[in-house]
Amino acid sequence: MESRSHRFKENAAAALANPVLQANMRTAKGKFVDKRAIAIKEIDDFEGTREAAKQLRNLVLENLDLWLEKFETNATARGAKVLWAKDGAEICRHVAEIGKRHGIKKAVKSKSMLSEEAGLNQALEATGIQPVETDLGEYILQINNNEPPSHIIAPVVHKSLDEVADLFEKVHQTPRKTEIPALTREAREVLREHFLTADMGISGGNFLVAETGSVALVTNEGNGRMVTTLPRVHVVITGIEKVIPTLEDLATLMRLLPRSATGQSISNYVSVLTGTKAPDELDGPEHLYYILVDNGRADVIGSEFQEMLRCIRCGACMNHCPVYQTIGGHAYGWVYPGPMGSVLTPLYTGLENAIDLPHAATLCNQCGVVCPVKIPLPDLLRKLREKQTDKNLRPWMERAVLKAWAFVAASPTLYALGAWFGVRYLKWLAGGKASIPVLSAAPEWTKGRDFPAPEGKTFRELYAERKAKP
Amino acid sequence: MRVGLFVTCLVDLMRPRIGFAAIELLEAAGCEVIVPATQTCCGQPAWNSGDRASAAKLAKKVIAEFEGFDYVVAPSGSCADHIRNEYPSILADEPEWLACAAALSPKVFELTDFLVNVAKLENLPGHFSGSVTYHDSCAGLHSLGIKAQPRALLAKLPDVRLKEMNAAEECCGFGGTFSVKFGDISAAIAERKCTNAVATEADAIVGGDLGCLLNIEGKLRRMGDEETRVLHIAEVLTAK
Amino acid sequence: MSSREDILGRVRAKLGRNETNAVAARTGIDVILAAKAQGPRPHVAMEMSALAGRLIDKSLAYSSTVDQIATQAEAPAAIARYLAGLGLPTQAVIWPKLADLDWAGAGITVAAREAQDADLVGITGCFCAVAETGTLMLCGSPDSPAAISLLPETHIAIVPASRIVPGMEEAFALALNELGQLPRAVNFISGPSRTGDIEQTIVLGAHGPYRVHLILIDGE
Repeated sequence: MESRSHRFKENAAAALANPVLQANMRTAKGKFVDKRAIAIKEIDDFEGTREAAKQLRNLVLENLDLWLEKFETNATARGAKVLWAKDGAEICRHVAEIGKRHGIKKAVKSKSMLSEEAGLNQALEATGIQPVETDLGEYILQINNNEPPSHIIAPVVHKSLDEVADLFEKVHQTPRKTEIPALTREAREVLREHFLTADMGISGGNFLVAETGSVALVTNEGNGRMVTTLPRVHVVITGIEKVIPTLEDLATLMRLLPRSATGQSISNYVSVLTGTKAPDELDGPEHLYYILVDNGRADVIGSEFQEMLRCIRCGACMNHCPVYQTIGGHAYGWVYPGPMGSVLTPLYTGLENAIDLPHAATLCNQCGVVCPVKIPLPDLLRKLREKQTDKNLRPWMERAVLKAWAFVAASPTLYALGAWFGVRYLKWLAGGKASIPVLSAAPEWTKGRDFPAPEGKTFRELYAERKAKP
Repeated sequence: MRVGLFVTCLVDLMRPRIGFAAIELLEAAGCEVIVPATQTCCGQPAWNSGDRASAAKLAKKVIAEFEGFDYVVAPSGSCADHIRNEYPSILADEPEWLACAAALSPKVFELTDFLVNVAKLENLPGHFSGSVTYHDSCAGLHSLGIKAQPRALLAKLPDVRLKEMNAAEECCGFGGTFSVKFGDISAAIAERKCTNAVATEADAIVGGDLGCLLNIEGKLRRMGDEETRVLHIAEVLTAK
Repeated sequence: MSSREDILGRVRAKLGRNETNAVAARTGIDVILAAKAQGPRPHVAMEMSALAGRLIDKSLAYSSTVDQIATQAEAPAAIARYLAGLGLPTQAVIWPKLADLDWAGAGITVAAREAQDADLVGITGCFCAVAETGTLMLCGSPDSPAAISLLPETHIAIVPASRIVPGMEEAFALALNELGQLPRAVNFISGPSRTGDIEQTIVLGAHGPYRVHLILIDGE
C-alpha cells in the first residue's frame, strides 16, 4: 500500500471537518473502551498475565532466527511449504506463482494486514485471480473501490450504517436495507457463494506456534474458518515476528488478545491449523503455504525499537488514544494507525516518509497502560523523535526555536530577562481581559482555543520582591 | 525537613500565585521551603522533542540546583515525573551524572503526593467553598500514581463538594509541544474534556498541572464559558 | 541469495549470532519447549459439577443454549425437541462417528458426510470443552469433519460432562496425549458466529451458524 503518511496534517484536518466520521468515532470509542474495562476484570491476575505475555514474546525476539527455523521444521514436517518474502512485491510474486501452479481463479481472503502492506488484491487481479475479501468490514471496503481500512480489527469503524446501506444498494443492486442484521445477511449470502467456489484461501496468522508448526487464527465471523477449510489451497501470510513457543503460550495470549481487542473473554473462533488434509479427511486444504514476511521487521530486531515487535495487533492502543479517537485511522496514511502505527510506519516505510506520526501523540501513555504485551509506546515515539532530530529531519524553524529556547533556559539571566519581557507583552496583548483570542506567536494554539493571559509578573520577580520586604 | 521548590516554568510565567500557594502548603506541613533562584525549566520540552543534548544540559542544571535538599517538590505531576523518572534515561551515557540523577530521583515529589504521603499535612490553610471536578493529568496519573492524593486533600475541606466527571483520566489534549504542533487536534480533544467537565456543573475544574489547566481554560473560554473557574489544586487548598 | 537466507541472515547479524551462542540458544529453546510453562491462570473450580456449571454459564453468556440429559442415548430425542421448539428442519448433516445413534427413532434424518451449503442443521460431538470460557474444542478427522460446525445455520454439539476441562492448556494437553499430535484442524468455538463491524453493533450469524446448542450429557 502506498503511504500517505507524509500528508498527516492535511489528512487529520479533513477528518476533523468530516461530521459523519466524527459521529462514528464517538460511537465506537465508548464501546471499545467500556467493553475492555469490563472484560479484563474477569482475569484474576491481569497484570501478571500481561507480564507473562511480554516475557514470552521477548523470549522469541531474542532468538528469532532459531525460533523461525524451529517453526519451519515443524510446519514442513506436517506437510506445509514455508516461503519467505523480503517485501510486499515478493509476497505478491509468491501468491501469483502458487495461483499459477494450482490453476487458481478465485481467492477468498480473511483479514490480513500484511496483504494491505503488499497491496495484494491489486496484484492478484493483475494476474487474473479474483480476490474476495470476506471479513464483513474488509468486504465493505473492497466493494467501495478498495478503500483502505481505518482500524486493524474494525476496518470500517469510520463508516455509518447509512453509508453501508447506500453501498450495498448500489453494488448488490438490491432494495436498500437499513437494519444491520439484514445487511449482514445480505453480505453472508453474497460471500457464501464465493466461499463455495473459491479454490484458494488466503489468511493472515495471529500466531505461529513453533512447538507444533501451527498457525493460530482468531476470528468472530467464521470467515477465517471458511477460508482455511473449504478451498483446496490455503496460503498464510504473516510477519516473521509472529512466532510463539508453545500451545501454553497461545493459551496465555488468548486471555489477553480478545479482551484487549473487542472486550470479549474469547473470540468466537480460535483455530489452530497444522499441515494439510489427510487423504481420508472429508474437508480441509490439500496444499498449505506459509509466506513469512520481513518487509522491515528484520531491521527492527536488535534495535532500540525491538519491543515494538511484541505487538499482537489487538488495537487497544488506538481504541484508547485521544488522537486516534479524534481523527480516526485514515489520517495516519498507511496500514497501521494509532500509536502502534505511529511507531511501525516510520520503521517500515522510512523515518523521512512519516515525519509527523511520532509527534502526533500527547504522550499521555494511555496506550502503554492498556497494551497487553506492555510495549512502552510513548518511549518508542520519543525515541523516533530523537532519531529525527539526529538526522536533521525536523523543520529548521522548529529546530531553531527549540535550540534558542534551550539556550535561554540554560542561562538563568537570559531566562529571567526573556520571561520579564514575555509576560508583560502577553499581558499587554490581553488588554485587561482574561484571555487572548489570537496569538501570532502560537497560531496553532489559538486556532481552536484562547490563550489565557499571564498574571503580568513572573514568580521569580514576585518572590524576590517578597524576600526584599522586611 | 528542607524542601526545594521546583516552581516550573509555566507557573513562573503564567500563574505565580500557584507557586506561592505551594509554599504556603509546604510551610503549613512544617517544611522549610527553599526556592533556588537560578531554576528555569526541567527540560521536558527538549526531551519530548527528541533533543537529548538540550535535555541533558537542563537536567544537569536542575540536579546541581536541587541535589542538596531532603526533598524536591513541584506543583506539577508532569515536571516531577520528568525529573524523577526520565533524568536517569537522559543521562544514561554519563555514569557520574547518572549516579546523581539516580540519587535525586527518589527525593522528587509532585505536590499533593508529597503533602499526603510524606509531609502528612493534616490541617489545610484554605477554606474553599463550592463544587469542583478533578482532571487527572496523564503523567502524574500513570507515572506517579497521582489519583487519591488530591482527592484526599479536597476531602479535608468541609465546604468543597467533589463531582467526578466522565472520563476524568482521559487526556485533555495538551501534550506540551503537541498543542502547538497539532493545534486543531489538540483543541478537539480539549473540547471533549471540557464537555465532560462542564456536564458536572461544578463551580471549578481543578487539576495539578498548569499546562492542562491552561489548555482547558483556553478551550472553555473559546466555547463561551466564562463562568466555570479553572484552578490549580494548590489554589483551592489555600483559598481565602 | 534466497530471501530466506537474506532475512535470516539479517536477523542473525542483528542478534550477533555465532556458532557458539547458537548452540546455547538452541538448548535454551529445547528447554522452553520441554517445560511448556504456563502463564497465570484465572481460578476455575475443578470439581466436575463446578466445571459443568461454569461451562453452562459461560456458554449462555456467549449466546449459546444448553440442554442437559443423562445419557448419550437420549441425545436424538433431546435434539428433536430442540428442533421442533424452534421450528427447524429435521434433516441434519452429522459427524460420521455419531451416525449410529437412533436418529430415525427420534424423527431426525441424518447424513454422515462433509457439510454442504444446503445443510441447515449440523450435529457434532466435541473433542472436549473448556469451562473457563464456555468453549467447545473440535478436532477435525475423517469421522469428525470441520465444516459441519461451520456451514449450517444451526450447530448442535453433544458434550459429555466428563470431557470438560478447566482451560485451553488442559484441552491441548488432552489432544496431544490422546491423539499423539495436534490434528490438522483444531477449532475452539464459543457461541454462534458474530460480527460487530457495522457501527460496532453485535449481530449473530455472520458467516457461520446463527445458533449453537449444547447437549450436555451429565452421566458421561
